Amino acid sequence: MDRIPILKMGDLLLVTIQVDMHDRLAMTLQDDLTDRIVTARARGVLIDISGLEMVDSFIGRMLANIASMSRVLDAETVVVGMRPAVAITLVELGLTLNGVRTALNVDKGMELLNSLGGHQG
Amino acid sequence: MCSAVVPLSPPPATNALAAGRGVPARPLIGTLDSNRTQVVMETLLQRIVETGSAIAIIDITGVPTVDTMVAQHLMKTVAAARLMGTECMISGIRPQIAQTMVHLGVALGDVTTKATLAGAFATALHKMRLAITDVKA
Amino acid sequence: MPVEREQQLRLVSSEDIVLVRQAVRQMAADLGFSLVDQTKLVTAASELARNAVIYGGGGTARIENVNARQRNGIRVTFEDNGPGIADIQQAMKDGYTTGGGLGLGLGGAKRLTDEFEIESHPGKGTRVGITRWR
Repeated sequence: MDRIPILKMGDLLLVTIQVDMHDRLAMTLQDDLTDRIVTARARGVLIDISGLEMVDSFIGRMLANIASMSRVLDAETVVVGMRPAVAITLVELGLTLNGVRTALNVDKGMELLNSLGGHQG
Repeated sequence: MCSAVVPLSPPPATNALAAGRGVPARPLIGTLDSNRTQVVMETLLQRIVETGSAIAIIDITGVPTVDTMVAQHLMKTVAAARLMGTECMISGIRPQIAQTMVHLGVALGDVTTKATLAGAFATALHKMRLAITDVKA
Repeated sequence: MPVEREQQLRLVSSEDIVLVRQAVRQMAADLGFSLVDQTKLVTAASELARNAVIYGGGGTARIENVNARQRNGIRVTFEDNGPGIADIQQAMKDGYTTGGGLGLGLGGAKRLTDEFEIESHPGKGTRVGITRWR
């Protein structure tokens, strides 16, 4: 796969990462999302990482970058579906993902986006 | 006399999702009472995913002593749960444990702690805009 | 299921980092490591593999099933012929908040594994070995 698909749902963008992402794919996603937030005038971004068996510092930085960039573009990002093993490892790794909002699943993520952005999701 | 969980105020539209499934959301309670803290922690996190609980209470009433290792595991679990999107509260902190934690320099930060499980449960329900009330049978 | 006792993988591109992750994951799963332990080892391997590709100018990863005192384990050794590290102590310090830098992967990888060894000299490349016991 050479790009991760981004779905548009109203003024929300939904990304589901299901592959073991290599670095270039992650960078492409970052760029694609930035473009899409602007062209879709999105108010929220939901990134589903329930398919990720591992999040290392590179992917963690990617998520933090996406959260920062979306905020600059007046959109909020919520990362959902982090697996327990991944969370435990990130804590051990010392990666706090400050600035990245998280929720347990897509439902809760949408709730959070609704309460933040004031848009109708 | 029986009790039921009722909303304090009309639930926001988005909560209709949970109500629609017929089961009101409730905080998850995990009991820590052994030295196998690591396994219990992993199980708790797994249960959080399965139940979709945005609030979890870790009750340590049954923990005899809190040494550095137990305290660290506790903090790591709270941190991991927060990364996943769940807020944790710790209940059952006896005065001796509170002293130990202060001596060990355990930084609880903004983790809510309560002396009793009942206190933590009530706080959690309040955060979820629910309350326990008596209902005439 | 037969377990690969030893594998050597090249580390040149970012796709190779993924291959190393997958190979480590496979061996750890085959050997019966818990999910959390698998994830820790794979994450540590990912950090070190990236270092070899990005800072080491490319190299290799050797993944071995090791045994000691009746314990089963996995050792992954990363080698590159890159510029080497002048100050290892400094490199081991974390720099997540500052972002970027050689120190990111090393400290984290050490915390995620049971044994961590590093040998590096300026101009002579770097070798890092991590071991996780089941």
